[in-house]
Amino acid sequence: MLTIGKLALQADVTTDAVRYYEKEGLLAPARKTDAGYRLYDEDAVRRLRFIKQAQQCGFSLTEIRELLTLKNSDEACCKDVKSVAIAKKLQLEHKVRALQVMSQALSELITICNNETRPLDECPILAALETSMAKQLKGDRNA
Amino acid sequence: MLKVEVFSSPGCGKCTQAKSMLKAIVEEMGQGRITWRDVNILEEMDYAVELGVMSSPAIAIDSKLVFSSLPSPDKLRAELSKRLV
Repeated sequence: MLTIGKLALQADVTTDAVRYYEKEGLLAPARKTDAGYRLYDEDAVRRLRFIKQAQQCGFSLTEIRELLTLKNSDEACCKDVKSVAIAKKLQLEHKVRALQVMSQALSELITICNNETRPLDECPILAALETSMAKQLKGDRNA
Repeated sequence: MLKVEVFSSPGCGKCTQAKSMLKAIVEEMGQGRITWRDVNILEEMDYAVELGVMSSPAIAIDSKLVFSSLPSPDKLRAELSKRLV
């Protein structure tokens, strides 16, 4: 059996993270000592590594909970997990696109600034942002 | 000509059964006026993202996302009838 400190060390997470995952219902101690200290088994180490890896793939704690439920469900199969992974990938690809649009907008703003010695009230980037905000507000009002 | 595109991943048994039912409806209603295309979402992820597909399976009609999950036969029939008029 492992104490919370040893568990955290083995899974390469902090003890605060272990407590948080426990609070979120993703992990539970196998038992408690008479003094009330939590004790964990090897399954908790595997579970923590799973959580960490899934987080690295972009899964939120809610989605990880769903994956853990699928993992322990007799009725679920590999295809169900694949669907969750595909949905996650679609979500990430959407985010990548949104970030590319933002990056492009910034590139355009950076290009219009051709003289860095101008005073701030002549800054074309700030002016462009203000103009686009004004246009947006006008558009919202007309919509 | 209406273009129906069904986004799914290969090997999804649940989808295969439901898809064949929907495909039969398209063939029955279409009579040369509707095309059906099975899209492997893993091979055409960019296209799926472009149309706003967020989960699989999903159906697009004329390159617009219409159903974000497989619809009932009645719902598909109603949607196609509306567009065939």
